[in-house]
Amino acid sequence: MKKPSKKSETEFCKVCRLHHDQGSRHKYFPRHKDFLSTFLDRFRSKIADVRFFLKNPSVLRPEEQSQNRVWCVFCDEDIVELGSSFACSKAINHFASSDHLKNVKQFLWKNGPAMDCIDDFRISEADVAKWRRKCQSLGNEDASSFKGSCGQSGTSNDIHNKLAFKTMDKIENVPAPHINSHHSNDVMPLQYNTNKFQISHSELSGVAHHASYLNMDASHLPLCTDPLRNGFGKDSIASRTKDFPSNGNYCNQEDKKQIKGSYSSPDGLVVTSISSSHSSDACGNVHSGAPPPWLDANDGKSSNVQLNQSDMSSFQAKIPGKTRKLNPNRVGAEWAERRKIEIEMEKRGHGINNKIDADWLPNFGRVWQSGTRKESRKEFEKEKRKLVKPESISIESEPVKVQPYISKRARRESVENGCG
Amino acid sequence: MSSYLLKTLTKKEEIDRIIRDTIDEVLVLRFGRCTDAVCLHHDDILAKSATDVSKFAKIALVDVDSEDVQVYVKYFDITLFPSTIFFFNAHHMKLDSGTADHTKWVGAFHIKQDFIDVVEEIYRGAMKGKMIVQCPVPPERIPKYQLLYKDV
Repeated sequence: MKKPSKKSETEFCKVCRLHHDQGSRHKYFPRHKDFLSTFLDRFRSKIADVRFFLKNPSVLRPEEQSQNRVWCVFCDEDIVELGSSFACSKAINHFASSDHLKNVKQFLWKNGPAMDCIDDFRISEADVAKWRRKCQSLGNEDASSFKGSCGQSGTSNDIHNKLAFKTMDKIENVPAPHINSHHSNDVMPLQYNTNKFQISHSELSGVAHHASYLNMDASHLPLCTDPLRNGFGKDSIASRTKDFPSNGNYCNQEDKKQIKGSYSSPDGLVVTSISSSHSSDACGNVHSGAPPPWLDANDGKSSNVQLNQSDMSSFQAKIPGKTRKLNPNRVGAEWAERRKIEIEMEKRGHGINNKIDADWLPNFGRVWQSGTRKESRKEFEKEKRKLVKPESISIESEPVKVQPYISKRARRESVENGCG
Repeated sequence: MSSYLLKTLTKKEEIDRIIRDTIDEVLVLRFGRCTDAVCLHHDDILAKSATDVSKFAKIALVDVDSEDVQVYVKYFDITLFPSTIFFFNAHHMKLDSGTADHTKWVGAFHIKQDFIDVVEEIYRGAMKGKMIVQCPVPPERIPKYQLLYKDV
């Protein structure tokens, strides 16, 4: 006998975002499990970003502190990096704290999957200790360079800074010293204005595009006289991007596009420019009055197209898709396939007999037939031969002489009389 | 008028060629005379329907007065005109219209749609592997005739 299901108090499920009275059974429902998996995946990506800065500590600029925040779903707490000098320092400390661990355990017990995935949602003490040591070493190294770059760029590159803040609003923690320390040979700061220089100086366009990503950090990077000398290239920038997280909290997918040669306008539009090496000036363009490429390409092919049009039927027959679509059990399928091959051979000029046999007859079931169609054809051919033979015989035979009838006895007597 | 729109065949070679070259399509051969009134009515319907069935059928007219064609007139047992014979991949398709002769359609079609329905039915049957199909035309619109057994 089934026990009546106990109705428990109405609760709100944070994962499914709905009220239910299913009690502890709710966490086993497949819908809840689906929602939970997406819920935890989202948080995993957030904590992955934090782990990135755990492994690669970087200095947090004061202007970006307010933008650097994480919502902890287990603790229901917004972690804002106000007053912290390194990126995600408060977040790291929070995820390593005992309170957070307690909340994670409680959440998993109430909602969710097995407890073995606790480590996915917290940071161990050992990692935090390593991070602290890195931060200390980082702080000592860059203290002087950071101050110097701030002083130089403050007055001259205000416009570039404004652009950077508008377009790279999702990229909140890309500090200059980090770039400088890890990839000193790969990228160089922007030396020229991007707008005018892109149009007027095509030889530097590649440099300008690749350096546009660095606009936001131009204020903090040390000036360099010869950007080309240091191997400016797409590959170098591509390698840089690997070090940056891909999540939306701290970095945007758009930055990859920008690195590949795009320019972001103050309006926020991301426009990709084509380098001059792609367009060959020898061919000409619309402005120079050159013909469009498709007309040039088709001049040689037009005659081929005309020829091919006459063979459309054979080409259609060649198309394997069409033969596959047709029912192989259709009437005369084998004959049709053979005939198609014959036609194709004739078109190619392999010289099969074009002449049809004069006696050829199609498969026909006659009106008064009894038996198969082959028999009816044989019957017709017999009739045909019979028609031909009597005609030939009548032409060849001599005219018949009409004579009176003589009986056998009379013939015998005449013979005996003749002999006797 | 319709003879200008549809091909008229006068030789056995031409008939053989058209039968052999029509692949995966219904071939409609009308045996008749262009001077006969019923044939003219029939030809008019064929000509008007030619474009509608062009994707799956081909239509041709055969002049029975031509000497070269007499072989086929005898082979197909054609005694009444117009007679319409259907082929698919050089195989003769029979049509059971409730008359004595299932090998051909004798007489003219009343309306264009009847002809299109018949051709469509033959095409569908042929694609399924059937060599005889049921006539979709209602009995009141099927021409009636008397078939003599070997002129007896």
